[in-house]
Amino acid sequence: MFPAAAQPARASAGDATLSRELAGIVGPANVLSRSAELLAYSADGLPTYRMLPRLVVFPTSRDELVAVVRALARAGVPFVPRGAGTGLSGGALGDPDTVVVALNRLTRILTIDPENRLAVVQPGAVNVHLSRAAARHGLHYAPDPSSQTACTIGGNVAENSGGPHCLKYGVTLNHIVALTVVLPDGELVQLGSADGECDGYDLLGAFIGSEGCFGIAVEITVRLVPLPPAVRTLLADFTSITDGAHAVSAIIARGLLPAAMEMMDGPTVRAVEASVYAAGYPADAEAVLLIELDGLEDGMDADVRVVESLCRDAGARSVRVAREEAERARLWQGRKKAFGAMGRVAPDLMVQDAVIPRTRLPDVLATIAGIADRHGIQVCNVFHAGDGNLHPNIGFDGRDPAQRERVERAMTEIMRACLDAGGSVTGEHGIGLDKLRYMPLAFDAASLDAMCRLRAVFDPAQRANPAKVVPVHSCREWRMAPAARSRAAGDDGLSPLTAPTA
Amino acid sequence: MTSLAAHHPATVAELGQIVAAAYASARPLRIVGSGTWLDAGRAVPPAERLTVAALSGVVDYVPGDLTITVRAGTSLAHVADVVARERQLLRLDPYGSANGTVGATVATASCGPLAHARGTPRDIVLGLQAVTGTGETIRAGGRVVKNVAGFDLTRLFTGSWGTLGVIAELSLRLHAMPEVDATWALRVPTAPDALRDALRALRAAPLAALALELVNAPLAHRLGLEAHPCVLVRCAGNADAVRAQRRTLAHMGALVDAPASVWSALRGVEPTAAWVLRLSARPSELARIWDAAHRALPAAGTAWCHAGVDLGVVRAIVPHAEADAAAALAAARNDAARDDPDAAVTAMIDVARRERAACIGERLPRRCWEHLGGGAMSHPLGARVRAAFDPRGILNPGILGTVSHHTAAFAEQHVGSRAGTQGGGFAPAAAEPTG
Repeated sequence: MFPAAAQPARASAGDATLSRELAGIVGPANVLSRSAELLAYSADGLPTYRMLPRLVVFPTSRDELVAVVRALARAGVPFVPRGAGTGLSGGALGDPDTVVVALNRLTRILTIDPENRLAVVQPGAVNVHLSRAAARHGLHYAPDPSSQTACTIGGNVAENSGGPHCLKYGVTLNHIVALTVVLPDGELVQLGSADGECDGYDLLGAFIGSEGCFGIAVEITVRLVPLPPAVRTLLADFTSITDGAHAVSAIIARGLLPAAMEMMDGPTVRAVEASVYAAGYPADAEAVLLIELDGLEDGMDADVRVVESLCRDAGARSVRVAREEAERARLWQGRKKAFGAMGRVAPDLMVQDAVIPRTRLPDVLATIAGIADRHGIQVCNVFHAGDGNLHPNIGFDGRDPAQRERVERAMTEIMRACLDAGGSVTGEHGIGLDKLRYMPLAFDAASLDAMCRLRAVFDPAQRANPAKVVPVHSCREWRMAPAARSRAAGDDGLSPLTAPTA
Repeated sequence: MTSLAAHHPATVAELGQIVAAAYASARPLRIVGSGTWLDAGRAVPPAERLTVAALSGVVDYVPGDLTITVRAGTSLAHVADVVARERQLLRLDPYGSANGTVGATVATASCGPLAHARGTPRDIVLGLQAVTGTGETIRAGGRVVKNVAGFDLTRLFTGSWGTLGVIAELSLRLHAMPEVDATWALRVPTAPDALRDALRALRAAPLAALALELVNAPLAHRLGLEAHPCVLVRCAGNADAVRAQRRTLAHMGALVDAPASVWSALRGVEPTAAWVLRLSARPSELARIWDAAHRALPAAGTAWCHAGVDLGVVRAIVPHAEADAAAALAAARNDAARDDPDAAVTAMIDVARRERAACIGERLPRRCWEHLGGGAMSHPLGARVRAAFDPRGILNPGILGTVSHHTAAFAEQHVGSRAGTQGGGFAPAAAEPTG
């Protein structure tokens, strides 16, 4: 699925009216409508999908955000919420019928309650800014996607983002306490609670990871976590990825729960070492394993010794313990910037995401290597080894249609291999547009229909990020009731279901 | 009155047929695991019993993955036995008998002291298979520990009390047993201000605790400890780390070793004939809520309370046998309560309101459920969720309180055209959109 090029935005009298109405709410400077301006919002972090939205609107306050959503509801116009646009599934894109509601001006950290370890933030607050603000209280926000210097908490909620340290600390779901949400029809609802337990259905849990299809979180209450008193970062290198995978299993089986366990394969190591992010990884290694232990100072060294010996037992050539913060940061930089470093390998990079049971790592990685060979492509593997979350990335030249087709076929086979191993087609990037086609491989018709029903609870008119996450044709109700469909589309005859030409 | 049918499906396919038939003829079903949570004391209408106990056993267990897939009727005790052989544990320790089923634990989102260390069904369940109110079998989530494929029906079904679907199978996250797993009892002051300071210090202390549970004097006594309020601390890690935590705690007050069995004793302490409710607020408010709850309760010695220190949740257990004493005591303070036999519970609910604490009923006298109010159906989206998965309201009717007939009536009118409605208006309880 490689859409050829961004489509031209449709300029019509309706657009001018809508644009004026939105400008009346947020001010003319906060509505973009010219193609040149819209271009910056035509893709997210997965640039293989491009489309120009109808308009982009930037609310600058909570009230403006609610007013914008209500105006869009009255006009029956579909919309896509967007944070920093660092998503990797083509989720935060709008087609020429759709308005992008950009949350980048709602960046405030509203309150921090250090004693209860809670913070309330606006959706556009940047992940790492929250951790920085919390640091003065000895706290941090634990989920740390690789894009954390740019990505927003609102986007993290939409995607249920993970990150290397989720092995120990859990994903976004485990760190969100309450949300104030504006539903697509403009109603404000409270999900979850920061003031004691919440009874009833877990709508907070259902909302997290809903990829912008259930509404927009206007205020987010997150749980903060104490900064660990002690941290040790280890780097082990292996002559085979299988040895590295065995080390991971041995560490988990011993009852240790490192904060993170990240593996990079040989091609990735070499790409990193050849880049400005060179971290001092042994360039001839076939796998490096980055392990971080954190917790109390007492007992830390004993755990480090155990991890070290388990790595050596599994065949590690060397195990290095970062002695100081600068060395630790350097080891991590190589991992966090690995995707960037791969930019050197080929003009285009398809960053992928899948999950397999941890014990299947060696054989699925071998299967992936076989698929890559068969299709004549190069796969670089970077992954959260501790929880089996793979990122098989493919470098290619997008200008060559034959290459694109080979990449496409290989990727489908890789996804099938992960599903066959009992895994999932995405661990943290989401479905968006990119993985829609894999959903029927992962779920049967009744299960997909159940997801559509849940979506309809939050967004009966299907105007919030339409046509993403669940393939439209799998929603039984929509197949069977064309009348309802046209009614839901509103008076101006716009269809919320206009499938992007992907 | 003719006796109602009882169903004991042995396979998921049979379960699907039973629910589909009930849906076709709008016959309500009461879902039964081991029979612990039939009605929570609520006024539920008569219904055919659907027992899932025969759907039991381990489907898949690969120890190296630290995950297990079991049928919903499997008991917690059985899972614990199976995984203990691999030195693993399921971090779900809800109150009540370990013969309770995994399915009921997840359906009711029940948890215990391990909730401190993310040991709640919400954190533990990776995926599930369920039969919805129309008899369709669906799967949500998966067997892997990280998964964001599609909308999160797993979280939605967890804690839905069977009202969205009958859970048939569950995949769960496991944890490796720590090298050392130690439990101590730390004596804490009784006076509210001193207790507040002690709890604050405890929350801020460098501990890697699996559980931090405050227990009142009668409960401590019942558990075989000194009859004085204490915090039960469960710490895990290697020997050095656990020793250091013990040192930290010893500086904070009188500390004694407690047997690991104190946790199973706590889980099993409440008699079946007891009313149970929970009061909660931000953890910093725990001492205030704790004190207020005790003032509402009958005289010391007749009711047990415990609380998750880091969660800020007080759980009060009022045995029925004490109901008369409770009523007399409350009446002495409040004339209006004189004729109310369930005065202790009513007084607790009132305390929660006055102290701006959240109040959740586990098992309450029937009229106290009405007094409590709230619940799933009071949320603007509650009735819509119900209607989406159980359009005829046949699954566990009444277990979440009211409006199931509204839901059913709505569904009859609107099923198949839900997408065409303008937002709210699903049921009288659902708020109209304000926009």
